[in-house]
Amino acid sequence: MSSDVTEPKWSLRLPADCSIAAIRSVYELIREAFGRQDRLEIDCSSVDKADVTSIQLLLSTAKTGEAQGRPVVLTSFSQSLRNTLRRAGIASDAMIDQHFPHKKDGT
Amino acid sequence: MSAMDPTEVFRQEASELFEVLEGALLDLGQRPDDRELVDSAFRALHTIKGSGAMFGFDKVASFTHEFETAFDRVRKGEIKPTQELISVALAAKDYIRTLIEDPQSTDDIIGEAILDDLRRFVSADQPAAPVAAIAEAPPLARAESKQAGWHLYLEFESHILRNGSNPLDLLEDLCKLGPCFVVPVTDGIPFLDEMEPEDCYLKWDVKLHAACDKDAIDDVFMFVQDEMKLTLSPLAQIEAPAPAPLFLLLDEEQVPMAEMAAPVIEIAAAPIAEQPVAKAEPKPEAKPEPKAEAKREERGIATVRVQAERLDELMDRVGELVIAQARLSQLAASGSDLSIKMIAEEIERLASSLRDTTMGARMVPIGSLFGRFRRLVHDLSRDLSKPVEFVTTGEDTELDKTMIECLADPLVHLIRNAIDHGIEDNATRAANGKTEQGRIELAAVHSGAQVLVTVKDNGGGLNTARIRAKAEEQGLIAAGAVLTDHEIHQFLFHPGFSTAQTISALSGRGVGMDVVKRTIENMRGSIDLSTRPGQGTTVTLRLPLTLAIIEGLLIRVGEGRYIIPLSAVEECVELTAEDERSRGRNFLNVRGNLVPFLRLRELLTASGSPDKHQKTIIISTGETRVGLVADQIIGNHQTVIKSLSKLHSDVTIFSGATILGDGTAALILDVAQLVTLAQSKVEKQHISEAA
Repeated sequence: MSSDVTEPKWSLRLPADCSIAAIRSVYELIREAFGRQDRLEIDCSSVDKADVTSIQLLLSTAKTGEAQGRPVVLTSFSQSLRNTLRRAGIASDAMIDQHFPHKKDGT
Repeated sequence: MSAMDPTEVFRQEASELFEVLEGALLDLGQRPDDRELVDSAFRALHTIKGSGAMFGFDKVASFTHEFETAFDRVRKGEIKPTQELISVALAAKDYIRTLIEDPQSTDDIIGEAILDDLRRFVSADQPAAPVAAIAEAPPLARAESKQAGWHLYLEFESHILRNGSNPLDLLEDLCKLGPCFVVPVTDGIPFLDEMEPEDCYLKWDVKLHAACDKDAIDDVFMFVQDEMKLTLSPLAQIEAPAPAPLFLLLDEEQVPMAEMAAPVIEIAAAPIAEQPVAKAEPKPEAKPEPKAEAKREERGIATVRVQAERLDELMDRVGELVIAQARLSQLAASGSDLSIKMIAEEIERLASSLRDTTMGARMVPIGSLFGRFRRLVHDLSRDLSKPVEFVTTGEDTELDKTMIECLADPLVHLIRNAIDHGIEDNATRAANGKTEQGRIELAAVHSGAQVLVTVKDNGGGLNTARIRAKAEEQGLIAAGAVLTDHEIHQFLFHPGFSTAQTISALSGRGVGMDVVKRTIENMRGSIDLSTRPGQGTTVTLRLPLTLAIIEGLLIRVGEGRYIIPLSAVEECVELTAEDERSRGRNFLNVRGNLVPFLRLRELLTASGSPDKHQKTIIISTGETRVGLVADQIIGNHQTVIKSLSKLHSDVTIFSGATILGDGTAALILDVAQLVTLAQSKVEKQHISEAA
């Protein structure tokens, strides 16, 4: 997992393993990132292992950002993450938009 | 305190699941039509698979998946579980266990061979349908039925993801029944700060457009039915959109081929507005079954998994507390401060209560041990071609966990002996008018401060004449010596003694029963044999409830103080002048019965002159009684057992030591050894009198 602080805005790249085995550390990472910046961008391109916990964490992140008026932007959903979203019933772009309104490019 | 290694947690959980799986498979051999047993085996398999994948045991997950698949026809009731099939399934279980516990010691080729066997057995009566056909056939064919389908609301318990269950897999399985509209319900997703990332918050609202029956849906959730709320209502009245376009939609998405085998899942763009049923109250019949509710409530009773070494540590601490409390009580008793005495009494009461609670926490039902022997009996029965019925009773009887661990090997040996030597071969049983199937009973029962464990067979019984002849041949007794049957049977516990005419892989080397006896005696227990010719043999093990703290009787011999385990004490009597006069014979007349006694002053070479009124403590092991003559009986004493050092390993009459209230040590007398000593003295006396 890595966080690229060289970019103008704070960007967080999710690690390859976002399954339940590693979700606790991903959770801590996101919480830490939340505490640092007003605007958080999460790069989902590296996610290779995802499951229900990954989806829940992203949904919670989006919900928390929305509630605090600090939009969280999700970028570049990996194929693996998309498949998991699809399996959970979030299949179409419309549904992804509904749950993650601030996603952008490459999703 | 360090956190437990998650992999170790999985190993422990898997170990328990293996017991469940093995038990279910063995029972299935007896009751092939019992559907609940098949389900139980599958639940165990499924959890092992899920947890294995979660903790990185990919080979375990993969093999278990293949196992499940091969065994699926049994689950569907298409084939019956034969004994051969059960044997292969047990071998598969053993292989999974090895993959978890010692993966280096096995090879993929073994797993493949087991799976081949499994597949061969399950497809023996009719070829299994090709996998692709199974995957393809049901949905559309069922969709043509008149019934519109089902509306499901799925709500899982929060912990479900932690035990390896994956709701997404279940949704996929559901979609194999027919086209599904899956809508995730995200209302329960908390804010980040309130979230436990491993908990399950998502729920699903699903519309299944298939004419399948309710059982098919129940089958999908079979493994998690106790951990979820499944609300089910027919979709017959709903004018659902036709499923076909949804398939087309997905096709247009260019889903990779690898995913095409997976079920079709699509979501409705605006499901809530569209679906009045989504908010409809569940119909009465759709409510979760009361049984499942009850199970959920039962699980609500909190249980915590604790490392065994922590319990040992806790017990050690309690032991130290009991010793400190004894010192405090002694100090308080020697002073005149009433308030100190009151506090000492209060602490004594609390320490006693804490000791009982701690000991209770270490208690484990002996059933956890008994379960292991079912497989042993199954395998031996098969290898020796002796059909054996294995019956266990008293599984709920609780014993200290250390005792349970120590008891495993002796019981393995006793059960092996019972099948190998006890149960006759088929021809002999038939000739004696017995049923073809032998019977072994393993029972446990509380008896005062002891637990009695019995291994009983209905075989031919002990051949007393042969045991005697062998004992004479080995020079253990003089030819023609007068001995009771019970005394003759004791030779079976002599090292190197065996009456078996052939040495087999199982027994006949004469190594075993002496080790069993020593192990049981090291646990401060005793072993006893009883037999009836032609009707069988019963081996009885008498065991204390715990190895850590015992109630003891504190005595004084000369200047030294000693502890006798109270559970072995039958009564205390004064050594009369008449008994004193019998010096040289060392027998005590207790209400008309002659009881041999040992003078502890002589045995322990005590200094100083003996007390005027000597006391005799009558102890017993099994049916044998012996008196121990001491100077003084001081009273009851909560005894925290401390092991003797290796330097004292050759001291046989002491089983340990304890620390008394004044800080001095007292040795604990080994009752079994003292009884043996007294018996040998009696025998020598017999021989010298006969000479």
